[in-house]
Amino acid sequence: MKHADRILPSRASFTTADGLDVEVARRGRVPLVSIRLVMQPGSAADPPQRLGLADFTVKLMRRGTTRLDADALNEAVEFVGASLGVFAAEDFVALAVTTPAEHLGEMLDVLAQMVREPAFPVHEFDTERARTLAQFANDLDDPGLLADRALQRAIWGSHPYGHDVAGNQASVEGLVREDIVAFHRDCFGPRISRLVLVGAVDIRSSRPLVERAFAGWRGGPVRTPVPPSLTQAAGEGKVLVVDRPNQTQAQVRLGALAYRRGEPATFPAQVMNAALGGGFTSRLVREVRVKRGLSYGVGSSFETMRAGGSFSISSFTKVKTTRALLDVILGVVDQMRERGPTKAELEKAQEYLAGLFPLRVETNEAVASAIADLWLYSLGEDWVDDYRSRIRAVTRADAALAAGRFCFAHPPAVVLVGPAEALQRAAEALGQVTVVPATELT
Amino acid sequence: MPPLFRVHEATLRNGLRVRVVPSSETPVVSLYTFFGVGSRNERPGLTGISHLFEHMMFNGSEKYGPNQFDEVLESHGGRSNAYTTHDQTVYYEEFAAEALEQVLDLEADRMRSLAISDRMLEREREVVKEERRLRVDNEVMGLIDEELQALVYQAHPYRWPVIGWMGDIEAIRRQDCEAYFRTYYAPGNAVLWIAGDVDPEATVRRVRRAYGNIPRGPAVPAVVNAEPTQRGERRSVLSHPAQAPGLLVAYRGPPVSHPDALTLDVLEFILAVGEGSRLNRQLVYEEKVAIDVGMDWSWRLDPGALLFHAELAPDGDPARVEASLYREIARLVEQGITERELTKAKNNLRAHLMRELTTSSGRAHALGNYETYLGSWRAGLRLGDRYAAVESASVQSAAARYLLPSQRSVVTLFPGASA
Repeated sequence: MKHADRILPSRASFTTADGLDVEVARRGRVPLVSIRLVMQPGSAADPPQRLGLADFTVKLMRRGTTRLDADALNEAVEFVGASLGVFAAEDFVALAVTTPAEHLGEMLDVLAQMVREPAFPVHEFDTERARTLAQFANDLDDPGLLADRALQRAIWGSHPYGHDVAGNQASVEGLVREDIVAFHRDCFGPRISRLVLVGAVDIRSSRPLVERAFAGWRGGPVRTPVPPSLTQAAGEGKVLVVDRPNQTQAQVRLGALAYRRGEPATFPAQVMNAALGGGFTSRLVREVRVKRGLSYGVGSSFETMRAGGSFSISSFTKVKTTRALLDVILGVVDQMRERGPTKAELEKAQEYLAGLFPLRVETNEAVASAIADLWLYSLGEDWVDDYRSRIRAVTRADAALAAGRFCFAHPPAVVLVGPAEALQRAAEALGQVTVVPATELT
Repeated sequence: MPPLFRVHEATLRNGLRVRVVPSSETPVVSLYTFFGVGSRNERPGLTGISHLFEHMMFNGSEKYGPNQFDEVLESHGGRSNAYTTHDQTVYYEEFAAEALEQVLDLEADRMRSLAISDRMLEREREVVKEERRLRVDNEVMGLIDEELQALVYQAHPYRWPVIGWMGDIEAIRRQDCEAYFRTYYAPGNAVLWIAGDVDPEATVRRVRRAYGNIPRGPAVPAVVNAEPTQRGERRSVLSHPAQAPGLLVAYRGPPVSHPDALTLDVLEFILAVGEGSRLNRQLVYEEKVAIDVGMDWSWRLDPGALLFHAELAPDGDPARVEASLYREIARLVEQGITERELTKAKNNLRAHLMRELTTSSGRAHALGNYETYLGSWRAGLRLGDRYAAVESASVQSAAARYLLPSQRSVVTLFPGASA
C-alpha cells in the first residue's frame, strides 16, 4: 500500500441504534486495535466554581462501574494485555484503549460501562481528591510546569481556557461527589461523542460488538457550547514573575493569542513557526543554543482549540543570563515579524513539515486521534490528506503575513519562574512586573 | 500470518555491522547508529564525557560544516537526535526515503573525520550544564536518583550519572574528546540499523561505499567490574527545599546476560506496572501512603538495580511507605504469585513486544537494543518464547534472591533547607 497523497486509511462509519457515531479503519498487519472514545465537553465546560470538574469526572470513571469495582475493571483490561488511558483537554475528554484484536468485544464492554454506568464510589472520590490535591502541592517542585500554567493564565485570564485542565487546589477542595454525578449526567452522552476503531478491525465484525456494548447509552446533550472568542490577551505587555527563591535556573515563557484550530492561517503559520523555532535549525535554536550556548532547549509553537489559540516561546537558562536570553528571543521574533522567513528558510520549513508529517500519524493511536479530531474541530474530510500539499503551497508572502500577525504584533505576556529578586531586574523595561509566590499557581 | 519483517545483515571489512529491515508502509527511512560506549566506559574526572561528546557530534566534520547535519536532514523532510545511556550511545534520523544516500554520507563523514574545536566544546559545555540544571539540580527526583546510584555502586562506573558531575563537565578538555572519539567512535564499535522504504541489497552497497574506507579503530578497553560485595543496608538522608518527602529504594540486580533478568521483567509487571499491580493497589489505593508508586528494572550490561520510587503527599511519611513496600515484598517472597498474575504479566509482555515492532523506527530501535543487550537481534525475537517459559516458582525464587534487606540502598528526602 503506497499512496503518496493518502495519509489516513479509508474508513467506514455507522451510527448505533442509540445515536453514537462510529468510525472504523482497518490498518496494518499487527493484531492490535486502538479504540478511542471522544466526548465533547472538556475543561472549558467546567463551571467557574468547579474548575477541574471534567478532568476529575473522567478520572473517576475508571475507578469503578455499577458492575465492576476499580480492581475488577483494571483486571479486565490489564489481564488481556490491553491498556487504558483517560484524558481531559480544553475541548474534550477521551477514553483510549489499545487491545489485542481478539479481546475487542470485552474492551468495548468495559469502555461502554465506564461511560454509561460509572459508580463514582464515595471512597474512590475521596482518594482521588486527596491524590489530586497532593499533586497540586507537589507541582510546586516543577518549575517548567509552573511556567506553562502561569503563561496559560497570563494569556487567557478568566476565559474558560485560562485554567489548568485539573483545576486548582481551592476548586478541587470544594468538589463533592454530587458535582461529578451531575456533570456526567448532564454533559456526556452519545450525541456529543464519537467512537473510533483503528487497526486489525473491520466494520462487519465490529459493528455487532459496538451495538451490544453501547446499547442503552442514550439521551444527554445534543451539543456542547463553544466558548466565546477572546480578542486581547489578559496579560498583554505584562511580566509575571513567579518566585522560586532556590532555583539556579529560570524558566522563561512568552505568549500571545493566535488562531483557532482549523483556520486556513494554520499552514502559513506552521511554515513560519518551523523557521522561527520549530526544528533544530530554526532561528531561535541557532541564536540561543548554537551560537550562544544560553540554553539546552528553546522552541516556539502554536496551540489551537475550538474557540481560539495561542502562540508561545519556551526556554530556560541560568538565572544570571535570563535577560540575555530574553533579548535574544525578542530580537529574533522582531526580525521575523518585520521580514518573514527567507526563501531558503521557507523551502526548508516546507520540506521539513511535509516530510515528517507521515510520522505524526504512524501508529494506530495517532490515526484514531487524527480521525477523532476531524470531527471534533470540524476540520473537513481532507484536512489530514491535504496537509502536505497545503504546506507546500504556502508562499513567502503568506508566511510573512503570518509572521506579522502572530510574532507579537502586540507586546507578549512574559512569565519568568525563579528567584524573584534577580528576575525582577532581568525584566526591567519589558512591561509592568508583578511578582507572585509559586503557591498562587496551585 | 507471514513474518512482519525480514532482517538483512552484513559486516564490512572494518567491522561495521549493518542491518536492513525493509518495509513499504510509509515512504520514510529510520537510520539508527548504536555505538558501544556509555557512561560505564568513563572514569572519575571524565564523568559525563559520553554525553557531552554526543553533543559534539552535531558540530561538523571534514566535508560538512558545523550544524550542516541538521540543515541537510531538515531540508529533506527529516529530523535527527541522539541519546546516551550507561551502556551505549544512540544516534537516529528519520527522513524521506530519497535522502538515504545523503544521510549515509553525513553519518559516515562524522564517523571518519569529526571536527572538534575549543570553541564548540566551550559552547556545548554550557548547553550541557543547562541540561544538568534542568534535569538534576532543579528536579527533586533527579537529585534523589543521583544520590541513590552513588549509594548502590561503590566501584562500578554506574555510580555516576550519565550527564556527569558538574565539576567534571567543567573540566573535560578537547584532547580528552579527541582520544574518546578515536577509541569508541570507530566502525568496529558500531552497528547501523536501517529500517523503512529501502532496497536491502542496494542499501548495503551504499553503506559500503560511504563507510568502507574508515579504519576499524582500536579494540575497546574492557570495563572492569570491581564492585565489592554489599554487606548490609545502605541509607542516605537528604534535605532539600521540596514540597513533599521523597523515597527511592534499590536492590542489587543481575546483568542482562543472566537468565534471571527476564524473570525480573515478569516480576516488575506483577509488582508495579498498571493500576491493578500489587504496589499500586496496596500503597496508593488501599493504604494511601503514597500518591504514586513505580518500579524500574532496566536491562544493563553489568549488574543493574531494581528501583522502587514513591511520590508522597506533603504530609506523607517515608517510613510508612517503606514499611508497606517491604511488607508487599515479603508477601511475594513468602507466598509467591498466582498463576493468573503470571499469565497477566506474560500477556502484557507479549503485547509490549508486538507494539514496539509496529513502526519502522520502533523496529530499528528495538532490534538494535536487543543486539546490544542480548548479543543478537534474533535473541530479541525469541523473547516471547522465553517469557512464556517463566514459571511462577522462578518468579518467587528470584524475588527471594534479589529483594534482600542486606542488598538494599535507601534514599529519603525531607523538605528543608539545602545543605
